[in-house]
Amino acid sequence: MLTYTIRRLLIAIPTLLFISLVIFLILEMAPGDPLADQPLTVPPEVREKMRAALGLDQPAWVRYLLWLKQFFWTEPLHLVDSLFGTAFADPTGRIVSWQFRAPAMDIIWQRLPQTLWVVGLAYVVGVVIAVPIGIISAYRQYSWFDNLGTFVSMVGFSVPTFFTGVVLIIVFAVNLHWFPSIYDTTLKVTDWESFLKQARQMVMPVTVLALFNASQISRFMRASMLDNLQQDYVRTARAKGMSEKVVVLRHVLRNSLIPVVTVIALGIPTIFGGAIITEQVFKVNGLGQLLITAIYANDLPMVQTLTFIFAALTVLFNLIADVLYGVLDPRIRYD
Amino acid sequence: MLDAPARRKLVEVRGLRKYFPITAGLLRRKIGDVKAVDNVSFDIFEGETLGLVGESGCGKSTCGRVILRLYDPTAGSIRIEGREIADAPQSDLRELRPTMQMVFQDPQASLNPRMTVAAIIGEPLDEHTTLSKAEKLARIYELMDAVGLNRNYANRYPHEFSGGQRQRIGIARALALNPKFVVCDEPIAALDVSIQAQVVNLLEELQDRLGLTYLFISHDLSMVRHIADRVAVMYLGQIAELAPRDDLYLKPLHPYTQALLSAVPEPDPELEAHRRRIILTGDVPSPANPPKGCNFCTRCPKVMDICRQVEPAFREVEPGRFAACHLYSETNETAGPTAAAEARKSIQQGV
Amino acid sequence: MRLKSALLGAAAGIALAPAAFAERGADGHLNIIYWQAPSILNPYLSSGTKDVESSSMILEPLAGFNEKGELFARLAEDVPTLANGGVSEDLTTITWKLKPGLVWSDGTPVTSADVVFSYEYCTHPEGGCSQAARYEGIQSVEALDDMTVKVTFTAPKPNPYNAFVGSTSPIIQKAQFANCLGAAAQQCTDANFGPIGTGPFKVTEFKPNDVISMEANPNYRDPAKPAFATVTFKGGGDAAAAGRAVLETGEFDYAWNLQLAPDVLAGMEAAGKGKVINAFGTLVERIEMNMTDPSPSLAEGERSTVKHPHPILSDIRVRKALSMAIDRNLLVEVGYGSAGRPTCNLVPAPEMFASDNTECLSQDVEGAKALLEEAGWTDSDGDGIRDKDGKKLSLLYQTSTNAVRQDFQALVKQWWTEIGVETELKNVDASVFFGGDPGSPDTFQKFYADVEMYANNFDGTDPEPYLSQYLCDKIPGPDNGWQGENINRFCDPAYDTLVAELARTGEIEKRAEIAKKLNEMLTKDSYVVVPLVDRGRNSAHSNTLGGVVLNTWDSELWNTSDWFRVK
Repeated sequence: MLTYTIRRLLIAIPTLLFISLVIFLILEMAPGDPLADQPLTVPPEVREKMRAALGLDQPAWVRYLLWLKQFFWTEPLHLVDSLFGTAFADPTGRIVSWQFRAPAMDIIWQRLPQTLWVVGLAYVVGVVIAVPIGIISAYRQYSWFDNLGTFVSMVGFSVPTFFTGVVLIIVFAVNLHWFPSIYDTTLKVTDWESFLKQARQMVMPVTVLALFNASQISRFMRASMLDNLQQDYVRTARAKGMSEKVVVLRHVLRNSLIPVVTVIALGIPTIFGGAIITEQVFKVNGLGQLLITAIYANDLPMVQTLTFIFAALTVLFNLIADVLYGVLDPRIRYD
Repeated sequence: MLDAPARRKLVEVRGLRKYFPITAGLLRRKIGDVKAVDNVSFDIFEGETLGLVGESGCGKSTCGRVILRLYDPTAGSIRIEGREIADAPQSDLRELRPTMQMVFQDPQASLNPRMTVAAIIGEPLDEHTTLSKAEKLARIYELMDAVGLNRNYANRYPHEFSGGQRQRIGIARALALNPKFVVCDEPIAALDVSIQAQVVNLLEELQDRLGLTYLFISHDLSMVRHIADRVAVMYLGQIAELAPRDDLYLKPLHPYTQALLSAVPEPDPELEAHRRRIILTGDVPSPANPPKGCNFCTRCPKVMDICRQVEPAFREVEPGRFAACHLYSETNETAGPTAAAEARKSIQQGV
Repeated sequence: MRLKSALLGAAAGIALAPAAFAERGADGHLNIIYWQAPSILNPYLSSGTKDVESSSMILEPLAGFNEKGELFARLAEDVPTLANGGVSEDLTTITWKLKPGLVWSDGTPVTSADVVFSYEYCTHPEGGCSQAARYEGIQSVEALDDMTVKVTFTAPKPNPYNAFVGSTSPIIQKAQFANCLGAAAQQCTDANFGPIGTGPFKVTEFKPNDVISMEANPNYRDPAKPAFATVTFKGGGDAAAAGRAVLETGEFDYAWNLQLAPDVLAGMEAAGKGKVINAFGTLVERIEMNMTDPSPSLAEGERSTVKHPHPILSDIRVRKALSMAIDRNLLVEVGYGSAGRPTCNLVPAPEMFASDNTECLSQDVEGAKALLEEAGWTDSDGDGIRDKDGKKLSLLYQTSTNAVRQDFQALVKQWWTEIGVETELKNVDASVFFGGDPGSPDTFQKFYADVEMYANNFDGTDPEPYLSQYLCDKIPGPDNGWQGENINRFCDPAYDTLVAELARTGEIEKRAEIAKKLNEMLTKDSYVVVPLVDRGRNSAHSNTLGGVVLNTWDSELWNTSDWFRVK
């Protein structure tokens, strides 16, 4: 397993380099101009100077190599510096976002907590409610519970989050005044009161995202359970005289969870990707909003860095999912 | 008549039915039934092996599963050691599980892939006994020895074994709680021919040593002839004929049994040369829509008018021999009372 | 001890209670929402409105504009003019004097060195300053003493109020930015995210593209202001959400630039939590006529250049007819509601510069038809489209992708069809259309279409730079990399002469007269520019927020020091 993991990690290096090149080329070819949002009153000479200040006067391959150096050399060094107080990195060599004129990674670190809190919690909540729903739906296939679950997950899956989000805002924020419609990212949880405030503002975005996640995962769970419930070993377990609880939870569930766990693991990188739309709707302003505003502003270094981090996480969690599969299923061996 | 019964009836099945509903349409309305087991009655005596044979799809596996209440019967009664289990709730059944066990057809699929051999064999012990950890392990090793598995394999997973070994695990698992009655549902069908004999021999040996009672379900007539004491032949959810093994193989009564046996190759080349195969024409009718009258009337070479009108009763036509066929209900009418009396007696004595 | 001080504090509180109205920080917390999030607080590195306006609460210029477009002194003692001797007779120098006793929010004094430094910072060749245009034509900026700064221009400057005037050219602290000159400007994250200023508030935390937390500047020059102790400046989302947060849920006090459909805005206002306010500036939505031939049959580099005059639009009668066919009132109603008013002027404001031209405001379809007939465009084959010499009167009409603009396109197309003009519509993504990429055929500068629609405005109150965009030598073309602001390739020597005269004139009334004339030359005399709507701005404030005065001549947040909580 270890050699397998190491081999996979080694294969990941050229893959990621290739991905970074593809991202760079796509961004390079995409239409748009980082100065497009500057008003028309800015004269062309000034524009040209601003362009040069961003490094845009360099040829594309120079900019790509520079980015590689910044991402794989300067940024890690900087991380070491900030952790151990050393001074290896050249402070002027970091990846600088065009719209903020500030190191892209600093902004990403700043955004990470709120995204992890809201989107990550929504994912956890989604999983926690999806698994039992999937189990019961499969165990009582075609019962009213299963039909209701199917209906709700169809709704959760097919109704876009910007719609559910706005509906929730109009009902619970505008009409009932239960929850705030705008997320306060400056709120610091220091006591019980601020915790309640934080909980209140997280309710709606978490609900919207959790519904979406849960409907997806509960479908997987249900399908996987149904698959296993029809297996002979389940009959064996019943014939052994195991209680239904043991049959369902120990035999069926454990086997059904194998594919579901990998699906859940593969979904984790999307947490870091943030929920672009939901973050916009509730003004959570996490990584998703950072990405979309960077795209709008043609902030290529930021877009490149963010997308590459997502790509790297996806590759990493693919590997984790594969390794998990091997750990959970004794039939799978990687050697 | 007043003699004490020589052998105890361990299992008594009466009028057993298992229908699977067929649903269709948007609202999944029930539009009919698959009559997998349709009015089946027989007894199994303590220590004997009852072979249950028939073509695939005839309902024999369902029959075995219903008897162990892995399916809930639609109607009928099942008594095991005199206790009615056809309508017992699952919680009561669980207490009875140790006495009745099952060996499944597909040893690969019937073992949980994520449990080790020790866990598979030991799980019923956790559930039904209060043995200590060490005692449980001792029991697991004992069972592994009994079925001829190396103890060192206790922590391996099922996929690491060959088919024959897996079936040994399945048998060890079934024996863990010292059952009295074991349903062997095609235990050798998925195995290589060379392994089949080993497993059957193991089953016989265990029967001798532990005094087990088997319901041996198989489509392999030669294997049933080898292991069974009595044989029941099923066709389309019903028992066509039930007889002691030698009687049945020597002189089958029901035309279906005759046809079935005529398909068995003879080891003796001379006899084989004279073997006359009875070729059945047509397909087996759908169990969802069995023919009127006798189930077999659509394919029977000796079909009569009455067969298409009246369903023949399953009755004792010779002492110890039962058949559901109009051929015998007519001709034996004259011999009637005596034969019937004899028959009853023989049943009671458990020939 | 603690009890004693608490009691003393309480006593002091009671004693001061009557004066609480005029006490700094007495009104607690202020919530502002901009649906575009500020990404940097240094207006010299971004000219995005969101960035300039948010930083205007922290940084201040020497003088600013009020809601009427009039200059008033901020850091300067007063506005230098010819009359008070601040501006030299030959219009080549302006001398600013700082208010005495000014300090930065960190307590250090504001001096003329900071003013000079601000100039050096923005004019550094490697700095990429986005406000460099405000410092154009300056020969030197020198500190005469600690409180006095003299700006010398390379040539007479009739309007010397560009440098250090308005929220786009504020004074930054030399001590803070000293190491941020030139290329280093990009590295000064701390300074760019938390500039030290003289404004009513100072930054406590800045999360780019998300939120700014501010508190009252303890060293603000008016000890009674600002009334609010702390401010949350939230960014992001969309205009509807921002409007909702102020007008419907009341979570926020002020929402900027609510570009929403008129009925949506009215619905929100009906919730009764706040008010929509509007004001008009110089932003005019207009149709520009291409005076050159954009035909794709021409070679690349010849297309839409002065070498080939436009085959149809070179005739003023056609241009005029196209303008006459448009019902500007309906356009306003459909697209902008209270945030728009029909206009015939390229320079609709300030009042003194606005021509009284109202001729175009009433639609005249019949007149337009007659004019086209007169120009020789007739429908000879009866297919509803006019033609002349075998050529159809068919136009390609392009604009950026935007719901209101597409509505306008559809309406205009309908009116033009009525007068027998075939119109093909095209819309281009805004980032491409305004992107200025010389390689793209779809930029508004390339103008590969017959007519195009967009909005533009000018900075501040003086229209001179804006009107000089239409000089002959500012025509974009292949030789200048398609840079140049004379989008419709208008070229009239008389116009150029008049612009030159404007540049020599310092007297304000005279300037206004010339500006009006120039405006008319472009609009009602030539119909090269067909103005449609003077687009104002809708913002909203909650009922409990007082002191808001919407200003289109400077930052909307120009007077946050005067904002207070309505009790």
